[in-house]
Amino acid sequence: MNRALPTSQHTIGPFFPRTYFGPTDHDLRRRTATATPSPRGEAIRIAGRVTRAGGEVCVNALLEAWQADAGGHFDHPADPDAAAADPDFLGWGRAATDAEGRYHFLTLLPGGYVEGNHRRAPHVNLQIMASGLMRPVLTTLFFPGFSAENAADPVLAMVPEGRRGLLLAQAEGDSEGLRCFRFDIRLRGDPAEETPFFVE
Amino acid sequence: MRIDSVPPWPEGIEPQVPTEGYAGTFTHTPAVPPIRRPPGRTELTAPRDLAAKLPCGDDNLAVLGHGRMALGQYIHIAGRILDEDARPIAHAVVELWQANAAGRYFHPIDTRDAPLDPDFIGNGRIRTDAEGRFGFFTIRPGAYPVPSKNNWWRPPHVHFSVLGPASLSRLVTQMYFPGDPMNAYDHILNSVPDAAARERLIARQLPPHEVGLGWLGFVHDIVLRGRAATPEQP
Ligand SMILES: [Fe+3]
Repeated sequence: MNRALPTSQHTIGPFFPRTYFGPTDHDLRRRTATATPSPRGEAIRIAGRVTRAGGEVCVNALLEAWQADAGGHFDHPADPDAAAADPDFLGWGRAATDAEGRYHFLTLLPGGYVEGNHRRAPHVNLQIMASGLMRPVLTTLFFPGFSAENAADPVLAMVPEGRRGLLLAQAEGDSEGLRCFRFDIRLRGDPAEETPFFVE
Repeated sequence: MRIDSVPPWPEGIEPQVPTEGYAGTFTHTPAVPPIRRPPGRTELTAPRDLAAKLPCGDDNLAVLGHGRMALGQYIHIAGRILDEDARPIAHAVVELWQANAAGRYFHPIDTRDAPLDPDFIGNGRIRTDAEGRFGFFTIRPGAYPVPSKNNWWRPPHVHFSVLGPASLSRLVTQMYFPGDPMNAYDHILNSVPDAAARERLIARQLPPHEVGLGWLGFVHDIVLRGRAATPEQP
């Protein structure tokens, strides 16, 4: 078997084209720009701010989200139950931060699933890319209201206990009939406040 | 395509962070080291056909419209997107963006005093074919200064964003031009510790007689993380 070495990562820089963000790219429920959002699950809004050292806002950062559908399935051959996946749900979305460092996504509350000997709690994976970040940073958002599932999640268990709360989104009321969750991302700061990041 | 195993990043390929000379990395790079986790289902999957969501097909950045040719030296960049088994990755989404010949981006936050070219935007997105190939017509970008105290200029480079078969295959990188004397001074290229890994970020120029009269040809392959084949047991 031939081997090839992976290409080095670089920063996305400050000039990632604005034209690369379509008006519905932040909506994980749509497979295409004009598709009707999948109705199979509870529609939610995830929003937050991205900050860097000193609590300063991070503008023009690129966030990409990826998650299972409301039933906990991925439409992908690596999912043993892929046939059960929601045919209208994409599970992927892209958003940019505005001048105040804010981003938001529309999606369906993901389902948990069994993987090996573990049960994964409902979660959303986020990748953050920005000028000043030479490598994208990866984190995982968990939801309040799933204390038993979160306590059993093997990824959350790898985070030191005192920092686990930083990966928990906060319920923040309703907007236009959708439950809202707030998830702020602190790229750099006091270790007690910095968002826990992962590497694979 | 499915990714079945993922070796860790080999030594020296990942840029050193924070990066000497690049002030922004000292305010953005997390202070706490990332937690290494074994790739699970969420990391090993990705949308099967993202091109439905992200419209693809802009492969000619040099010609904006009928009779509207960008200023600069016309080039073609061809390459393949591969996995760590050197297998081609079909239907990856490849995004490319770059400065114009004067080193200015068509972007509202690039307010430098270099001229904008009304016939050059510099953004393209395509999907690789069944053999993992991609190709773009464009112009050779200009170098540009980075606002900083250390008189830092970026050498001519093209930004690439690649969305492949798994979440952890996601790659953002840059391509450089062979023989450019500015490559030696760039804080971003030189943040990669391994010399061979830096060399792999530099495109190869084709002999002009192999390309044709209209443009200069460059070849640049990009390797994403992940292996489709289960590694052989020793
Ligand atoms: Fe650049």
